[in-house]
Amino acid sequence: MSASSIFAFFAGNPAIIMMVGALMCIATPRHLASPILLIATALSAIKLSTLGLGEYGAITLFGEQIVTLRLDRLSRLFAIAFHIAAALNIIYAWGQKDRAQNFATLAYPAAALGGVLAGDMITLFVWWEIAAITSVFLVWAPGTRATYVSGMRYLAIQVLSGVMLLAGIVLIFRETGSLAFDLVGLRDASGAIKLSALVMFLAFGIKCAFPLLHTWVQDAYPKSTISGTIILSVFTTKLAVYALARAFPGTNELIYIGAVMTIFPIFFALIENDLRKVLTYSINNQVGFMVVGIGIGTAGALNGATGYAFSNIIFESLLFMAVGAAMFRTGTSKATELGGLYRTMPLTMTFCIIGALSISAFPFFAGFVTKGLIIDGAGGAGMFWIWLTLLFASAGVLEHAGIKIPYFTFFGHDSGKRPKEAPIGMLVAMSIAAVLSIGIGVFPEPLFALLPNQEQIAGYEPYTAYHIIEQLQLLLWAVLAFAVLVLIKWYPPEIPSTNLDVDWLWRVPGRALLSWASGASRATWNALWGIFAGRIHALMARIYAMHGPEGQMARSWPIGFMALWTAVLLGFVLILSFLG
Amino acid sequence: MAEHPENNQEKPGWADNPTFIRIFIGILTVSAIAAGLAGLNPAWHNPHPHFDVERAPVFFAIYGFVAFAFIVLAGQHLRKLVGRKEEYYDERE
Repeated sequence: MSASSIFAFFAGNPAIIMMVGALMCIATPRHLASPILLIATALSAIKLSTLGLGEYGAITLFGEQIVTLRLDRLSRLFAIAFHIAAALNIIYAWGQKDRAQNFATLAYPAAALGGVLAGDMITLFVWWEIAAITSVFLVWAPGTRATYVSGMRYLAIQVLSGVMLLAGIVLIFRETGSLAFDLVGLRDASGAIKLSALVMFLAFGIKCAFPLLHTWVQDAYPKSTISGTIILSVFTTKLAVYALARAFPGTNELIYIGAVMTIFPIFFALIENDLRKVLTYSINNQVGFMVVGIGIGTAGALNGATGYAFSNIIFESLLFMAVGAAMFRTGTSKATELGGLYRTMPLTMTFCIIGALSISAFPFFAGFVTKGLIIDGAGGAGMFWIWLTLLFASAGVLEHAGIKIPYFTFFGHDSGKRPKEAPIGMLVAMSIAAVLSIGIGVFPEPLFALLPNQEQIAGYEPYTAYHIIEQLQLLLWAVLAFAVLVLIKWYPPEIPSTNLDVDWLWRVPGRALLSWASGASRATWNALWGIFAGRIHALMARIYAMHGPEGQMARSWPIGFMALWTAVLLGFVLILSFLG
Repeated sequence: MAEHPENNQEKPGWADNPTFIRIFIGILTVSAIAAGLAGLNPAWHNPHPHFDVERAPVFFAIYGFVAFAFIVLAGQHLRKLVGRKEEYYDERE
């Protein structure tokens, strides 16, 4: 390859443009970092907009052709969302001086972008690992012992996901002889689960934070810096959602996994005091909706899952930004230490409420126009219990993200804190996210035009009377339940506490099981040793009885007795020799 | 407020004003009832419901109220199971 073709190869990939921008901010003066990051994001977006749908950057590696850049409707949707999120985060953290964080602020989105644009599994794996490594700098950014340890745990889990992905790629390549990253499917034609696919499925599942594989989200994300948590909240799980939508659409198991994901975080979020941690549970819940949509796999459900991912990236970021702004001004994100901030942070409060209305899927906000596609997909597939579960989860979303976040941050009990309004960079980022959240809700057509299946979405009308009425009934009566519970003082107060989550399994029943196993093994050993030792003792006693000082064999014999026997033996030998 | 004597003379914020709270709850209640009543109009029903329960005029209202109340009333007991003091992990690291 000539120098110009190498340059064209790298400059042709938006992810590499972003990555170069991230690297540049390491070597340039700190005050230029934010402009450089934003310019690199803009250049990457321009490059993306100039690329038509198709495959680019094909190279031959070890005799196999790999496609480093594939732009189709699915990857383009995620690529655009990632650009928006990256730009919002840069603006939010405008003026940030920490070089490592500035690097990760764009290197990590670049890696996630490279992953969704990858046309083959090798390119996906490379970006997958880069995303893991670059994102850990955001976890480590506060520089405390706790964040260091948490970052190491995070890195170990992310690298495990990468190693499993590589194993899956190798196994799939051995089976199919292809490195293309396309539909994999969990089962073969006979309905049996393919080992190769299962390994890849679990690799995606770790990053997607499947139930029981999810605790790294709550462990690592809330420990990052204010802006770091927002960035982390967007990319890893959505990259995994993309990967599932690409490789495992229509996989039945995903419906049930996703349904569990929508439910369990609701209860943990209810009792969680740290509002940033509440929002990490919200990530699990929201991704659960997407996973259900991918599992259903119909054109409508897939449109819903991917469209919901797009809009969720914006309004979930908005909620993280609002809580982050409150934390920036007050130094805490704990519900017990916040409250009453509406007096002095009215703009942040307004943006937070817009984010809350969007995530709750109120009509004319972003969540409404896409979540309905997923729930309708479950109904269309005749899955009554899944449909009911998603409706239940929608009430849960309203509880923890729609009400708890704004209520305990800006209203609730008065913390007495009177901080200044958020800095201008944060306000600008939040206002853009708020405008987009309302814009998508009121004018969903531009988002619909980006969805993977145009034929399905052309016949979809989100603003029908029954859809609005059903949704308003669900949400308004849920809010009414909240009001009633507060008025009769049945709504639980926030308590400063730590929530063990799945760790409870290891620490309570796990410890009891370990203790029981230890006791049982000790008892078994004692019993076996008792039997063995008893027999040994009995044998030793018999030997002792025979050969001990008072044993039969150890008694003293008279000399005359010995002389008699010697004479008998000699006589016997004499007779033998005489006869012979 | 006792630990913030500098705010003792502060006027209550608009959201703490009882009139605002009454108006807010009034609007919420009226809106919720209106949404419920709107469900009684057959012309506004889903023409192609997936399940029979969707035909019930106030199914979504009842389900939303019950689901929310259940989440709050049942979910708080999870604290007894998995809740620990705030320094639980700090003491172990």
